[in-house]
Amino acid sequence: MTIARANGLKRSYDLNGWLFIGPSVALIAIYLVYPIFRSLYLSFYAGKGMMMKFAGFGNVVRLWHDPVFLSALTNTVVFFVVQVPIMITLALMLASVLNNDRLKFIGLFRTAIFLPCVTSLVAYSVLFKSMFSADGVVNASLLAVGLIGTPIGWLTEPFWAKVLVILSITWRWTGYNMIFYLAAMQNIDRSVYEAARIDGVPAWARFARLTVPMLKPVILFTTITSTIGTLQLFDEVYNLTEGKGGPSDSTLTLSLYIYNLTFRYMPSFGYAATVSYVIVIMVALLSFLQFYAARDRS
Amino acid sequence: MIYSRKGAYCALIGASLLLSTSAMAGEITVWCWDPNFNGAIMQEAGARYAARHPETTIKVVDFAKGDVEQKLQTALASGTTQALPDIVLIEDYGAQKYLQSFPGAFAALSDKVDHAAFAPYKVKLMTVDGTVYGMPFDTGVAGMFYRKDYLEAAGFKPSDMENITWDRYVEIGKAVVEKTGKKMVAIDPNGADLIRIMMQSQGKWYVDDQDNLTITDNPALRASLEVEGKLINAGVVKTLSGWTEWAGSIGSGDVATVMSGVWITGTIKAQADQFGKWGVAPIPSFSADGKGHASNLGGSSWYVLDASAEKDEAIDFLNEIYGKDVDFYQKILTERGAVGSLLAARTGDAYSTADDFFGGEKVWQRFATWLAEVPPVNYGAFTTEIDTAVMAHLPDVLKGEPLDDVLKSIEAQAQGQIQ
Amino acid sequence: MNLSRLAGDAVQYLFVGIAAFLSVFPFAWMVISSTNTSIDILGGKATFGQAFAANVGNFFAQVDAPLVFWNSAKVAVMATVLTIAISSLAGYGFEMFRSKTRDRVYSMVLLTLMVPFAALMIPLFMMMAKSGLIDTHIAIVLPGIASAFIIFYFRQSTKAFPVELRDAAKVDGLKEWQIFLYIYVPVMRSTYAAAIIIVFMASWNNYLWPLIVLQSNETKTITLVVSSLASAYNPDFGVVMIGTILATLPTLFIFFVMQRQFVQGMLGSVK
Repeated sequence: MTIARANGLKRSYDLNGWLFIGPSVALIAIYLVYPIFRSLYLSFYAGKGMMMKFAGFGNVVRLWHDPVFLSALTNTVVFFVVQVPIMITLALMLASVLNNDRLKFIGLFRTAIFLPCVTSLVAYSVLFKSMFSADGVVNASLLAVGLIGTPIGWLTEPFWAKVLVILSITWRWTGYNMIFYLAAMQNIDRSVYEAARIDGVPAWARFARLTVPMLKPVILFTTITSTIGTLQLFDEVYNLTEGKGGPSDSTLTLSLYIYNLTFRYMPSFGYAATVSYVIVIMVALLSFLQFYAARDRS
Repeated sequence: MIYSRKGAYCALIGASLLLSTSAMAGEITVWCWDPNFNGAIMQEAGARYAARHPETTIKVVDFAKGDVEQKLQTALASGTTQALPDIVLIEDYGAQKYLQSFPGAFAALSDKVDHAAFAPYKVKLMTVDGTVYGMPFDTGVAGMFYRKDYLEAAGFKPSDMENITWDRYVEIGKAVVEKTGKKMVAIDPNGADLIRIMMQSQGKWYVDDQDNLTITDNPALRASLEVEGKLINAGVVKTLSGWTEWAGSIGSGDVATVMSGVWITGTIKAQADQFGKWGVAPIPSFSADGKGHASNLGGSSWYVLDASAEKDEAIDFLNEIYGKDVDFYQKILTERGAVGSLLAARTGDAYSTADDFFGGEKVWQRFATWLAEVPPVNYGAFTTEIDTAVMAHLPDVLKGEPLDDVLKSIEAQAQGQIQ
Repeated sequence: MNLSRLAGDAVQYLFVGIAAFLSVFPFAWMVISSTNTSIDILGGKATFGQAFAANVGNFFAQVDAPLVFWNSAKVAVMATVLTIAISSLAGYGFEMFRSKTRDRVYSMVLLTLMVPFAALMIPLFMMMAKSGLIDTHIAIVLPGIASAFIIFYFRQSTKAFPVELRDAAKVDGLKEWQIFLYIYVPVMRSTYAAAIIIVFMASWNNYLWPLIVLQSNETKTITLVVSSLASAYNPDFGVVMIGTILATLPTLFIFFVMQRQFVQGMLGSVK
């Protein structure tokens, strides 16, 4: 009797579980899992447009010998290695300053810094393009202040184009990450800080030894999402460089290369699918590493 | 399987039924970019056709150029024709790419259109294995637009700008920069526009007539890169990024010359405050013998989708207006600055009128003359890819690396892209 | 209050002050530029001009603004309602009805976050075309309804949902769907508010997928129109700026109205 009842409960528990997640799982299977496998299948084919033939690992061999793929990979790694730490650090510092009750107008500052992430990628790239044009307001201001002697080729010199992309992403996403830290910090018990202050621990040490360790789960979460975002970087470079990833391929990312291989160049769907799997593998590896590193220390 | 084959098939039939009823008989949908140029011209063509065939309406849909190309490629790649329009505009550089990678997607027009009536170089670009697939539209016959006021300030008369060499052009540029503080020309290092102009003026391209890559053994490309390097290193170039800024440099009066296709005339004439200040000359040449001053940049053509329900009507429409209506070409020249490639159109009145914006010069006449001299070249199917490879190595040219080494790296990169 | 503490505060003010200025400046630039001509904008003119009326006039002459706005709003509202409904169900389900199999399914769901959209475009487009959904607004919405990110977000937030409430409701004889609808949803409303903002903004600002799916002028959204204006043969940056302002206003408005709920929702997700 009781066993039957327990079985009935378990069945109802299971049934309800599947009912709640069912619609989502079905949709994900149709609109994500199926296309992913379809792409995998495509990655074994090569040819012009629809004239595709089975190529085995031909696309992988092509990757190996493709200098453009190599620069796209390098650029993507550079963006990720440089931009993510800068942004996370900035966001953490801003959050810890804004967590200081003694300061006035905190709400105003917080709102201002969060504002960029409401803009659409089209709007914000148009804005940045006009601001960073050869005679644009940024160069004009820098010249006026005397920081530079000649205008910077933000979009015409390979080095500065990379800098501009990093600046743009940082502008758009720092406030977004900051809100996460701020939220987490407000959950930290104030008395811990007070005790440390009374013990004479300086502010920077309280930040490094108390705040950061306590925020570890949030930092991990934001680092992983930022990593995924940066490795898939597309919108910004596409709109800043009119889809070309120039000058001299200096802002070409893997996602943009995939897009080019699909839509701008002679369509190589199979090869594009192969490149997309490089991103999948990188994201998986890095996420795993970050989880591992975070776990190791705790 | 995610959904049954049968289900998908039913959906497909349902969709095509829906489509055939929703697309009214006689509605021809056209995709193009630039509402003020291609879009407006197509509207005019549609109005003319509809006046004679009231049962037909032409519906023009415009997107950004990159968007049109991307949509076309997505739809063709998915193998579904229902997403496609009846007529689409394709830039000449990309024509072979589409024709070769999606065989059967575009209607063959060889038997329907008299292609002998058009500029031969245009027809060659839309031909695959002897079959012609498009309706030639505008040409990008190239010219050098220059600011008479700036050049005068630097000590040059309009006659000094006629039939010059690139070396002379660099010289003049230096004088302009010195005397006026303006730059000679604006270049976007993301695009190979100037290289394209220079190469075609020498009758060469990145590939030969058999579509074989010719980079290391291409003196025309070598010379073009050399000149571009000279120009930039001489400090006479304003480098900027993207079409918007490039076009903006005309309006802001930052540059003394504009090297482009004839379609840029509209943009130049849009600067009402620069009325009378512009002149037109042939582009510079690589030789001093008066040859090699004709070239081309851009230009596009109309293509009919083979699966279009309105295929025959669409072909008839293109043929009647773009293939025969000389008066139509006069109107789009006067109103939009579009130089068509129908040879008969050149004898029309509009072509011989003087243009006050250019100080009474008969600019259209000049472009029409140069048009006949544009050397036909085979763009092949990989212009975008090789452009990227070439421009990726421009910094090496500027650093002064030996051109032979640079060409070798370009060839290596291009080779990796074109398989 | 001692001097070093004052100096410390000054440094902190300076730091957030600069950050706030840099964050807001592009918005100011957008507003200022909307009053200038195209040439002035590219020339870096950072003062108000007289071209505002002309820019607005040109914008409305070139764009069927009400239609474009209606399209954007329709897509964003559809996406928000469907995504939140379906994905919050799943987030709740994964947390409340845990089992080995479902936990495994959940990790698979999270893995899909790693797939770049570029890899899905062609197969997705083929599917939409086969189901006759090209050039419809529902095609934009469909692939995003089950969002791994939103599911993750709701599952994290559900951890803070008091289990006693559920137990009490069960004792009262409520069915599982009733518990979800009448207890979970009201209790978690700040979580919902934040999710609504996230999804609405993402959908309103979405560009690449609508660009691929939508084919006609009648279905275009505001972001497509802005990008189209910015890439004409002779683009008028003043007009483009009007477009960017109009594209940004709704998300800005929603953010300001719902800012408090947003931060509260975030708090829930990282607890």
